[in-house]
Amino acid sequence: MPELQPDDPIKSRSYANVILIAIFILLLCVSWSFYQEFIGLRPWRSYQSRFATSYSAYLQKQVRDRQAQEKTVESSADYQKLSAALQQAEATATPQDQQIKVQSDLVDAQRAAILHAFQEDRSRVGSLIYDYETIPNDAANRSDKQSGLKAVQEAEKKTYSIDWPEEGGKTVTKTFNYDQLNNTFNQLLDEKAQLTAKQGDIDKPVKDAQTAMAALIANKLPGLDADQLNGLLKSVRDMDVSLIQINVNPPGTQINDIGGVGLTDRCQSCHVGMEPKYVPAALTLTKADLGLQKSTDAPFTSHPDQDLFNWHPLDQFGCSPCHGGNGRALDSVELAHGRYEHWVWPLYYPENYQAGCQQCHSADAWTEHAPVLNEAKVLYRDRGCIGCHNYAGFDNQGEQLQETIREIASLEKEKADDNQQIPLLNKQGDQAPDNATAQRLYAQATNLTVSVSKIDGRVQQLDELSHSLQQEVKRVGPDLKEVRMKLNPEWIPYWLGHTWNFDPTAQMPQFRLQPDEVQAISAFIWQQGLKGPALDKQTPGDAAHGKELFNSLGCLACHSIGEGSQKIGGDIADNLSREGEKANYNYIVRWIHNPRVRTEPYCPFEHKDIGPEDYAKHNLPYVFDADHSKCPNDGHELVVQQQTIMPDFRLSWQEARDIASFLMTQKDASARYEPASFVNNAKLYDKGRTLVEHYGCAGCHEISGLEDASKIGTDLTQEGSKPIGRFDFALLYTKAQEGVLPDGQKSRAGGWYDPKGFFDAKLADPAVFDEGKYKPDPLDRLRMPKPNVTPEQINALTSFLLGSTQSTLPPSYQYAPTDQRKAIQEGWWIVTKYNCIGCHQIDIGQKTVLMGLPQYQGDNAINLPPVLTSEGARVNPEWLKGFLANPALSTTDTDRDGVRSYLKVRMPTFFLSDDEIRKLVLFFGALSSQQQPFIPEKLAPLTDTERALARGIFTSPAAPCLKCHATGNANHDKNATAPNFLLAGQRLRAPWTERWITEPATIIPGTAMPSGLFVQQNGRWVFNGALPAAAKNYAGDEANLLVRYLMELTPQEQAALAGSTPSAAKSGSSSVKK
Amino acid sequence: MFGDWHQLWVIISTPDNIPIVAMLGLVPFFTWFAFHNMLANDRLIAQLEADPELARTHHRTTYPYSSRWERELHTNPFLMRKELLAAIIITIILMVWALTLNAPLEEPANASVTMNPAKAPWYFLGLQEMLEYFDPWIAGVIVPTLIIVGLMAIPYIDANPLGNGYYTYHQRRHAVWTFLIGFEAIWLVLVCIGTFIRGPGFMWYWPTQTWDPDRVEFNVNRNLDQIFGVDGHWFSHILPASWHLDPAIVARALFGIIPMLVYGVLAALFIHWICKRTAYSRKIYSKMSILQTVTMYIFLITMLFVPVTIFLRLVFRIKYIWETPWFSI
Repeated sequence: MPELQPDDPIKSRSYANVILIAIFILLLCVSWSFYQEFIGLRPWRSYQSRFATSYSAYLQKQVRDRQAQEKTVESSADYQKLSAALQQAEATATPQDQQIKVQSDLVDAQRAAILHAFQEDRSRVGSLIYDYETIPNDAANRSDKQSGLKAVQEAEKKTYSIDWPEEGGKTVTKTFNYDQLNNTFNQLLDEKAQLTAKQGDIDKPVKDAQTAMAALIANKLPGLDADQLNGLLKSVRDMDVSLIQINVNPPGTQINDIGGVGLTDRCQSCHVGMEPKYVPAALTLTKADLGLQKSTDAPFTSHPDQDLFNWHPLDQFGCSPCHGGNGRALDSVELAHGRYEHWVWPLYYPENYQAGCQQCHSADAWTEHAPVLNEAKVLYRDRGCIGCHNYAGFDNQGEQLQETIREIASLEKEKADDNQQIPLLNKQGDQAPDNATAQRLYAQATNLTVSVSKIDGRVQQLDELSHSLQQEVKRVGPDLKEVRMKLNPEWIPYWLGHTWNFDPTAQMPQFRLQPDEVQAISAFIWQQGLKGPALDKQTPGDAAHGKELFNSLGCLACHSIGEGSQKIGGDIADNLSREGEKANYNYIVRWIHNPRVRTEPYCPFEHKDIGPEDYAKHNLPYVFDADHSKCPNDGHELVVQQQTIMPDFRLSWQEARDIASFLMTQKDASARYEPASFVNNAKLYDKGRTLVEHYGCAGCHEISGLEDASKIGTDLTQEGSKPIGRFDFALLYTKAQEGVLPDGQKSRAGGWYDPKGFFDAKLADPAVFDEGKYKPDPLDRLRMPKPNVTPEQINALTSFLLGSTQSTLPPSYQYAPTDQRKAIQEGWWIVTKYNCIGCHQIDIGQKTVLMGLPQYQGDNAINLPPVLTSEGARVNPEWLKGFLANPALSTTDTDRDGVRSYLKVRMPTFFLSDDEIRKLVLFFGALSSQQQPFIPEKLAPLTDTERALARGIFTSPAAPCLKCHATGNANHDKNATAPNFLLAGQRLRAPWTERWITEPATIIPGTAMPSGLFVQQNGRWVFNGALPAAAKNYAGDEANLLVRYLMELTPQEQAALAGSTPSAAKSGSSSVKK
Repeated sequence: MFGDWHQLWVIISTPDNIPIVAMLGLVPFFTWFAFHNMLANDRLIAQLEADPELARTHHRTTYPYSSRWERELHTNPFLMRKELLAAIIITIILMVWALTLNAPLEEPANASVTMNPAKAPWYFLGLQEMLEYFDPWIAGVIVPTLIIVGLMAIPYIDANPLGNGYYTYHQRRHAVWTFLIGFEAIWLVLVCIGTFIRGPGFMWYWPTQTWDPDRVEFNVNRNLDQIFGVDGHWFSHILPASWHLDPAIVARALFGIIPMLVYGVLAALFIHWICKRTAYSRKIYSKMSILQTVTMYIFLITMLFVPVTIFLRLVFRIKYIWETPWFSI
C-alpha cells in the first residue's frame, strides 16, 4: 500500500464509536425483546406469582385455624372417648402384631435366601426344556432328542445347598433340587399372604377406631382438613408458573372459532383461583380472603357459583363460551377480555353475565341459577315486548294457530276442488268411448272420494289442535272489541296520552302520540268496538265484603292495589287503584264472575265476530264456550274465550258484584276527564286505523278487523349477534363512541358504542335515537314506545337480548333435553305464562308474590296456597289432571276450592288446554323425578286388627288428625286447616304420604303439620303416643299402617270417628289463635 | 365538524398508517438530500469542465480535493463499514417497530358485513384512489400495466449517456422531473389522499373533520358529454335505419374522441416544447430513434393524463371525458 494519507476523510475517519453505540442500542433492543418475550407479553406470570404469595398466606392461616379447631374437637368428651377406645384397641393388637412381624420377617429372610438359586435354576431348566422341545421328533434326530431329555432330567436333579434361616436366628444348611425350590418358593408366598391377612384382621379394631375419630372431626368440622390444606399449600408453594389452558374440540365447534380450531381458554392463567387444582370446590376464595379488597386488578377469586360446574364441567365448557372474551389471548387484560373493536365476542359485563346462559338455554322459560334471565323472560312477555317483536320459540302458539288455520283453509279448498271433480269424472265415464276408459275414469272418481274422506280426517285432527291452540293463545292487553261496554270514553284519550300518570306501574308502554293522534286512535277503537248485545244490569254489591274477598282470594298475586309506597301485590296485571275511574260496573261484574266470557265469538275463517243471528240461521242456541266452540257457519274452531290469562275464580254473582263494587270505589276523587265527543267522529276512523296499524296495537290487544295483524317489530331471536353497524345509533354515533350518554352526561363505563349500550339506551327511551333527526311526519319517527321498566329490568332485558345470539357453540351444547328435563323445560313456559309462581312455590327457594303480602306474615303464613315443590311425588297424576281442569273437583258445587276449602285463597280455573294440562302433569312428575307413565302403588288391604290399631292412631290424643283436617262437615270445617282425608285415596301417593306423616318438615319447612308423630325404632316407624295394649304386638311399620288406613278411609268411618276425636272446634280454634 | 384532533390522531396512530406518516417526513428529506447532492455534483462538473487540468487529476467525490489522496479505495473496509452501520440502524428501527406496534389484525371476515371505510393496504391505496377517477378496467388493469411496462421501457428509451452512478440534476433534468411528477406528485399524493383524506363511504374528509358513517353528501359527477349536452339527437337523423346501436351511445363515444385528441395534441406539444428547450436536450433527443420517441411520448402523455383527470374530477366534477360502452376515461 502506498503511504498512508492521514487526512483522507474517507480513510481516516473512525467509525468505531458510531458502530459501538449502534451495537449497544441493538443490544438494548435485543434485551427489550427478551423482556417482552418473558415478562412484558406474559402478564399472567406476575399474576400467578402474586396469587401464589397471597394464597399461601391465606392457606397458612387456614391451616392454623383448622389445627386450632381440630384441637378443640380433640379435647371434647366424645373424641376423648374414641381416643381411649383407640388406645385400648392398640394395646390389644400390638403384641399380636409383633408376633406376626417376627414370622413375617422369617418368611422374608427365607425367601431372600432361596431367591437367587430359584431364579437361576428356573431359567436354566427352562432353556433346556426349550432346546429339547424344539428338536424335531423324527428318526434322524432321535439321539439328539434323547440326550436333550436327559439333560433336562439331570438339570432337575441338580441340588443347591442353601443357608436356610430358621426360627430363633439359627441357620441350617439345606439342599434343594428343582422341584423343591419351586414348591418352597410358592409356599413362602402363601405364608406371607396369610400373615398379611391375619395382620389386617388384628389391626381392624384400631383402624375402625381411627376412622371413627376422623369421622367425628369431619362431622364437626366440614371442609378440608389440616392435612389436605397442607397438601394444597405445598402444591401452591411448588407452583410452576406456567400457562393453564382448557382445550376442547367438540365436533362441529365454532366456539371462538378461527379456522376450525376449537375452544382454547387460557383464562385461568391469570384467574388462578378458578383452577380446581389449586382451589378445590370445597374452598371458596374471595378477594377479602386474600387481603385484596382494595386491589382492582387481582383476579383471584374462585367461581362464585360452584354448582354450575356440576352441569357445565370446566374441562368441557371452559370459560369463554358462557362469558365471552378472547380465551386465547394473554397479552393484556383488554385483549384477553376481548374488549376491543375487532373481537366479535367480548366479555359480558358482570351485570349481563346471564346473557351467556341464554345462548344455550333459549328454549327455557325458567333457567335455574339465572334469576336475571328469568326476570327478563317474564318481562318480555308481560311488558308486551312479544306483542311486536317475534322471538323464535317464545309463546308462539299464535303463529302455530295461524299456520293450522291456513292449512285447514287450503285443505278445504282442495276438498272443494275434488268434490267438483268427482261428478265430472263420473259423467266423462258415462260418455267414454270404451269400457277401459270408463273404468279408469270411474276408478279416478272413487280414488278422489277416498282422498276427500282423508282430508276430512286431517281437518278434524287440525280442528282439535286448533281447539287447544285457541285456548292457549293469550294477549297481553285487554280485548278492545269490548271497549264500549267496559270503558268510559273520556278515559281512553287520557290513558293513551298519559299512560303512566294514570298508572305508574302500567304494563302498557308510553307511546309518543300527538294530541290529534290520540283522538284518532280513541275514535277508531271506540267505533270499532262491539255495540251489542247489551250487558245484564247488575245491582250494587257490598264493597266491604268485596274488599275482603279481593284481599284474600289471591287477586293480589297478579294485580296490585295502592299507589307509591302503599302499593302491594303483583306486577303481572293492572294496578286497580283507579279502576273506578275508567270502568263500567256491569262489565266488571261479568268480568270478575268469569273473565273468559266473550260478548261474541270470533271466527278466524270468516274473519268476523259471530253474532246470535249466525246461530239463529242454523237453528242453534247462542251458546259458546270451551265445549261449544264450533262455528255455526263453517264448523271450525271459534275464539270463544277472552284471550286473557286471568282465571275464573268460580265466584257467585253476588260475590262478583261485591268485588266489583269495591273496585268501583277505587278512584282518585280529584281526577277530571275532558269530554271526548270526538270518539264518535266518523271522520277520524281512517286516520285512527292507520295509526293503530302503524303502532302495532293489535300485537297486544284484540281489535276488530286486525285480529290477524302481524308483529311490527324486528325479530329479536338473534339480536345479540347483529353486527354493531346494523344498530342505528343515528346522530348518537359519535357520542356513543366518546362515552357521552344521550342526556349529555359522561358515561361512567366509557364508550357505549356496542350492543349493550344500544339496548340499554333503547330500552330506557327509544326516542333518543330520533333526536335531532328531521322527521316532519310523526309517522316517520321510531315507533317503539317507551317500556315501563326500571333500570334493573332494563339490565335484565339487555342480558336477555345480548344472549339471544346465533350460537357459535356446537349444537350438542344447546340445552335441548330429551329426558324428564324436557317436561320440566316445557312446563315452566306454562307455569310462568299463567303466573302460577305468583301463588305457589314451585322451585325450591323461589318466593311468591303472596308471601310478600302483609296478610300472610308470621303465623298467617299458614293461609298461603300450598307449596308445590314435591307435588309430583305427592299426588296421583291422574287426579292432578282432573284437578287442573276443574279445581272445584265438582261440576255442581263450584264456588269453592276442591282440596283446601278451608283456605280463603282459592285455586281458580285457568281453562287450560288439554295439551297444557298434560305438560303440567308431566312437569310436576319430572320435578319430583317420578317415573312415567304412572303406575299406582299396590297397597296391602288392612286386616281387622290392623284397622283397629290404625283407628287408634287416627283418633289418638297424640295425633288428633281431625283436629285440623277437614271432614266435609261445615260446622267442623270452620276451623279446619288441612285437607279432607276422603280425597287421599284418589289424590295422594302412599310413599309420599308416609314420608309426610313421619317427617313433614323436611318436605315443606314450616308446615303446620306436626313432626314427631312417629319415631324410628329398629328400622320401622312406631307411633309416638299411647296406644292400646294390643298394639304392642304389632311388628309392622305403624306409619305405613296409618297411610294404608287413610287411603281406604270411607265417609262413614270418618263421620263415626269425628265424634271420638278431641273436640275439633274448640282445640282447633285455639290452635288458630296461637 | 372540523377541529376534531382526536380523529386526526386516530388516523395517524393506526398501525397500518405508520409507514405513510413516516413517508410524510422521509420523502421530502430524501428529495432535499438528493437535490443537495445533485447540485453539489453539478457545481463540481462545472468546475471540472472549466479546468481540464483539474479534471485529469481529480477523483472520487465533491470533497475538498487533495492530490495526495488515493484515487481508489478498497470496498472492505471503507464501504463495508458504512453498510454495516446502516444494517445495524435498520435492524434497530425494525425491532423497535415490531416491539411497539402489533400487526393490525381484525375480526374474521364476514361476507354480510363490509367494513367502512374499506381500504387496501397502504401500498395499494394509490391504486384504490385511482378507482375513484377511472373506471375499474382502466384504473385496475390498464394503468398498472402501463406503469410496469413503462418502468421496464425506461432503459430502452434512455438515450442520455451521462448521469450514471452519481447524482446530477443538470445532466438528468428530464428524468428527475419525470420521477418527481410521476412518483411523488401523482403516486404518493394518491396514497396520502387514500390514507388521510378518505373516510367512511370513501368520502372526502379534510384533516380534523370527524368521520361519520351516516354522512350524506350531495355530489353529482357528470360526463363531459353531458355538460355539452350530447344526446345523439341530431345523430339519429344521419345514422342508417339498419343501425342497431343507440345513437346517444355512438354520439357520446364519438364526442369523447375530440377532447382526448385535443389533450393528446396539447400534451405532445408541451412535451415537445420541453424536449427542444435547451441545446443539451435537443442533442440528446436527436439521438433517439422514432420508435423510442413515440414510446416515450405515449407514456408521458398517459402519465400526465392522471393529474389532469384528478383535477377535472375534483374541481369541475367531471366524471368521464370519454365514455363508451366498453371503457370510460
